[in-house]
Amino acid sequence: MASVRRSRSESLFIRYLVLGAWALFCLAPVLWFLSIGLRPRTEIITPQPIYFPTFSLDAWHMIWEDWPMAKYLRNSVLAIIGSVVIDLVLAIPAAYSLSRYEYRGRDDIGFYILSTRMMAPAIVAIPIFFLFRNMGLLDTIWALMLVYAAINMSVVTWIVRSYMLDIPKELEDAARTDGASDLRILWEIIIPAILPGIITAAVIAMIFAINEFLFTLLIASTPDAYTMSVALANFTGGSDGVIYNAIALVAFIAFVPVFVVVVAIQKHLSRGLTMGAIKG
Amino acid sequence: MKALFPYLLVAPAVIYLLGITLYPGIFAITQSFYAVKFGPWRPIGFQNYANLFHDYQFWGALWNTFVIGSLSLALQCVIALALAFFAYRDPWVRGWRIIFLIPMLFMPSAVAFIYKLFFLDARVISDLLIRIGLIESNLAIQSSVWLSRSLLILADVWQWTPFLFIIFVAALQGQDEEIEEAARLDGASWFAIFWNVSLPLMKPVIAVALILRGIDITTMFANVFIVTKGGPAFGTETISYFIYRTGFKFFNFGYASAASVIMLILTIVIAQLVVKRAFVSSRS
Repeated sequence: MASVRRSRSESLFIRYLVLGAWALFCLAPVLWFLSIGLRPRTEIITPQPIYFPTFSLDAWHMIWEDWPMAKYLRNSVLAIIGSVVIDLVLAIPAAYSLSRYEYRGRDDIGFYILSTRMMAPAIVAIPIFFLFRNMGLLDTIWALMLVYAAINMSVVTWIVRSYMLDIPKELEDAARTDGASDLRILWEIIIPAILPGIITAAVIAMIFAINEFLFTLLIASTPDAYTMSVALANFTGGSDGVIYNAIALVAFIAFVPVFVVVVAIQKHLSRGLTMGAIKG
Repeated sequence: MKALFPYLLVAPAVIYLLGITLYPGIFAITQSFYAVKFGPWRPIGFQNYANLFHDYQFWGALWNTFVIGSLSLALQCVIALALAFFAYRDPWVRGWRIIFLIPMLFMPSAVAFIYKLFFLDARVISDLLIRIGLIESNLAIQSSVWLSRSLLILADVWQWTPFLFIIFVAALQGQDEEIEEAARLDGASWFAIFWNVSLPLMKPVIAVALILRGIDITTMFANVFIVTKGGPAFGTETISYFIYRTGFKFFNFGYASAASVIMLILTIVIAQLVVKRAFVSSRS
């Protein structure tokens, strides 16, 4: 009996050692980067690293006064919201079609939509660059909106489809015998019933859009279309080199809202990340 | 009309995606048969492909993508499984999940700068290692191919292990507790249960998670662009960075398009062989 108890407390000790070590590994760089954002420029790159810096809001003032931070923020928000709206408007009917009807070629269409998730941005980067150049959309948030929507279309469709498959058919059948049209059933019964799934899909799409780097780098060439993700790479000031405290603050400005919404949808996260393949 | 209705519902999304995949695909294939530098396009047949075949930088980029990607994926999978094994029965599993999630929620470009500063510009890691006496002078990361690759792998493991962890924990929590309980009453240890009972049941989930993560690793770009620029000696140049450099640094668009087409063919083959099977089996 005693040996059982000892091995149990030992295994608990190992458990918390492993989990605690990984938590430290996760958080240490984050906390240190936060300290970079809150220290003066002169204490960032020094012959010896400074572990206990003086507190300073230099970077906060700099990003708003010397750099068009408000513009970066506005571009990010508009491009992301626009792209998520496009995704939902196109993907919800598509998911409804894929989950509720039997027809020829359905599974191939579904797989085609899924397979666009595998396309490396670099593969289509050059043609898309020429496409937007010919359309006169380079360096606009419209181009970013269209690209982000395309990147996330597969994810949103498959997540929403997975939640729709969970809805029992009887729910619609009752409404159908009352004479409701298919579109009305989608709007009045299905969408309210899978609202958590739609929100999950929107949050996942939002994260991918905030993170997007390669396309944004190619499309945006002036602050008119820089998003926060690409603006980071432009916080350099000639002889000043990379302006790390500004970069750190912008990183945290983008992080906080994402963290808040992700904690809110925590329960659905594993399902969203696997595009509905597992139900967590 | 009734029979067409489901097609009409799915059509807008499909047309949108065709516009952004099929059109670029055709464009890239066409352009790959031309010399496109400054000025008009000049048809050159298969010359771009022939040149690619002899281009050691192209093969190097494929090799680097494979080496960095597979090492990183293997590490992430093992660590995430271990963490999930320890966390899923823990009373504070939600708390662990939120903490472990944090690196994943930073923009990849921000993570790249964290690691650039940590290892290269401010040399904090070198300083800490010198203080505890492990090394005598600053690590020369930028002149070592393997140290540079390790840095990219470390940043990727740090940021993306939680992706797999979250999926694995959810899969373990979703498993039937009675099977575990029965095995435990037979006197099996927690690890034996995990290895012999839980893990085999998780196979389809692991397959889907690794495929999704694998796809994203092979498209690694921001870290390379910001931290190593593909160096030293092209030792960390991934295929995405190769296409970017060829097209947008040297404006050799036809050549870059030929590389894109080869990547496209590889993607389609892998999608048909691996992804289709994993996603279909995961829902049966």
